[in-house]
Amino acid sequence: MNEVSSTTLFFAAIFTNNILLTNFLGLCPFLSISKQMKSAFGLAVAVAFVMGSTAALNNLVYYHLLLPYHLEHFRYIVFIIIIAGFVQLVEMTIERFFPPLYYVLGIFLPLITVNCAILGVSLFMIIRKYTLVQSVAYGAGSGIGWLLAIITISAIRQKIEGKTKLPKGLEGPAITLIITGILSLAFIVFSGMINVQ
Amino acid sequence: MQKRLTNKEILIAGIWKDNPVLRQVLGICSTLAVTNLLANTLVMCAGLIFTTIMSSMTVSLLRNLIPSRIRMMVQTLIIASYVIIVDIVIQSYLPDISEALGPYVGLIITNCIIMGRCEAFAQNNKIIPSGIDGLAMGIGYTLVLVIIAIVRESLGFGTLLGFRVMPEFFTPWTIMIVAPGAFFVLGVFIWIIRALTPETAELTEIKAG
Amino acid sequence: MNSILKSVIFMFITALVFSSVVTAVKIANQDRIEINQKIKLQRTILNVLGLDKNTELTPEQITEIYNKRIKEDKLGDRTLYICYSEDGKAVAGYAFPVDGPGFWGPVYAMAAVDADVTELMGVSFYRHSETPGLGGRISEKWFSDQFKNLTLETGGKDNPYFYLTPEGDNKKDNDLDAVTGASRTSDAVEAFLNRELRIVAGELRNRKEK
Repeated sequence: MNEVSSTTLFFAAIFTNNILLTNFLGLCPFLSISKQMKSAFGLAVAVAFVMGSTAALNNLVYYHLLLPYHLEHFRYIVFIIIIAGFVQLVEMTIERFFPPLYYVLGIFLPLITVNCAILGVSLFMIIRKYTLVQSVAYGAGSGIGWLLAIITISAIRQKIEGKTKLPKGLEGPAITLIITGILSLAFIVFSGMINVQ
Repeated sequence: MQKRLTNKEILIAGIWKDNPVLRQVLGICSTLAVTNLLANTLVMCAGLIFTTIMSSMTVSLLRNLIPSRIRMMVQTLIIASYVIIVDIVIQSYLPDISEALGPYVGLIITNCIIMGRCEAFAQNNKIIPSGIDGLAMGIGYTLVLVIIAIVRESLGFGTLLGFRVMPEFFTPWTIMIVAPGAFFVLGVFIWIIRALTPETAELTEIKAG
Repeated sequence: MNSILKSVIFMFITALVFSSVVTAVKIANQDRIEINQKIKLQRTILNVLGLDKNTELTPEQITEIYNKRIKEDKLGDRTLYICYSEDGKAVAGYAFPVDGPGFWGPVYAMAAVDADVTELMGVSFYRHSETPGLGGRISEKWFSDQFKNLTLETGGKDNPYFYLTPEGDNKKDNDLDAVTGASRTSDAVEAFLNRELRIVAGELRNRKEK
């Protein structure tokens, strides 16, 4: 997989290989938070940032610490602890130095630790044998892809909910899932755009 | 404080009344991706049930010992350890399926149900009820995903567990195999269940995470 | 302060206990995982060389045939599996890994050529992350069987050994069937397999001349 350029990987992660729409990762916060556009945007920005950074951190730790000492099987624990630690660090830094930003993003940060998409990016990066640069491109791309998906859905939800009369039982998660399905179908069309992945 | 439920009530709650997928829409991420083949779904769900039971029981056992400030860290550590064990066992005994599942076994760690049950139930209950709660949630989850997998595999490949179930002239629906199919099937399934049992529909305040 | 210390000690002990358990499970299963991987690789090698005669071999049979007929060597960066004839005197063929980018992720394949490097004996796409039922069908038998006896004597740098084209009439000898509905995966396979085969065939011919 060393032949794929980081730029290609970055765009593939946003469009053709969208982590939410093709790999189903990060669905839980997606369903609950996509109700409001503003919070969706805040969360997604935080997710994108953490995704790119932890992909780099985990890549370094895996290839320079775990692999040389044959501790690969501990990667799940190590990755999740690094992610949790990183999120904590970001939270404290923002709170200390950028209080206005903290006011907007603060409440979303603890949620990020349990976002499967972030751990997912780190695990895919190991399985697909990405280099450090590729991992960062893939992580950042996936984050932006997630952002794109969640914003699109929350915009559609805002148009639908309360304004359209839906059959019983279809409100809430059911209609959101079906709209996500249609969006996922739409994103498949992008697959003609990028050649290798 | 809510009143203590009997073991049977806990079981029913997990499988039907508070079904994690249908009612709470939790934890679908890690498993939805493998529902295009029934065999993979079954292995994945077995791993999930094992992890939920064991981590609920462990958290319950340690509930009076864990310092509250590091509670989440300890829970994550416990869950991750069990998931690694599951991963190693699948790799050893089902190598082909292990390859097909790829990173999704590891993603059981971030499955919101497990952490959610540790927090909401195991933290305040004795070992046996916690174990039963884990089992019930796991079964409730498995049931939904198995149904989705049956729909997707039979329509998408015309097979079930690799055996042909559809007549020869049946053209497989490619859309069932790819990602949108999973969203459609789950969405429609939740719709049907909620439309049939309207009185519980208000309970579904979705938790984040 | 005391409570922080207590938390740290507690965390440390829990981490220690759980890591030990995990490591114990890992060590107990380590051999089995390695054997699984070894058998899978050997099964693929026997398959592309046609030594399994299209039957499901047991792991014991695989190891037995493999040890009897196959010798491992190096060819550049890759491992070369040299297959010897029944009596062990003549070379019957060569198997080697050919990996490349698929559409979604890397495709790992094993290919085999005859002793004179004139034609392909077989190809097997044994690990990939293509969509099951679509691009994933490259691992099916009908697809890899098409590569049997494909000639490697068509020369020229821009002249591929084979093309993957949609099913139908009007096909030339080196037009193989692509996977329906997965043209991207087929394109990727066509590109990397032609390229890799050309490289290895060249290296093998050089090696024989020495």
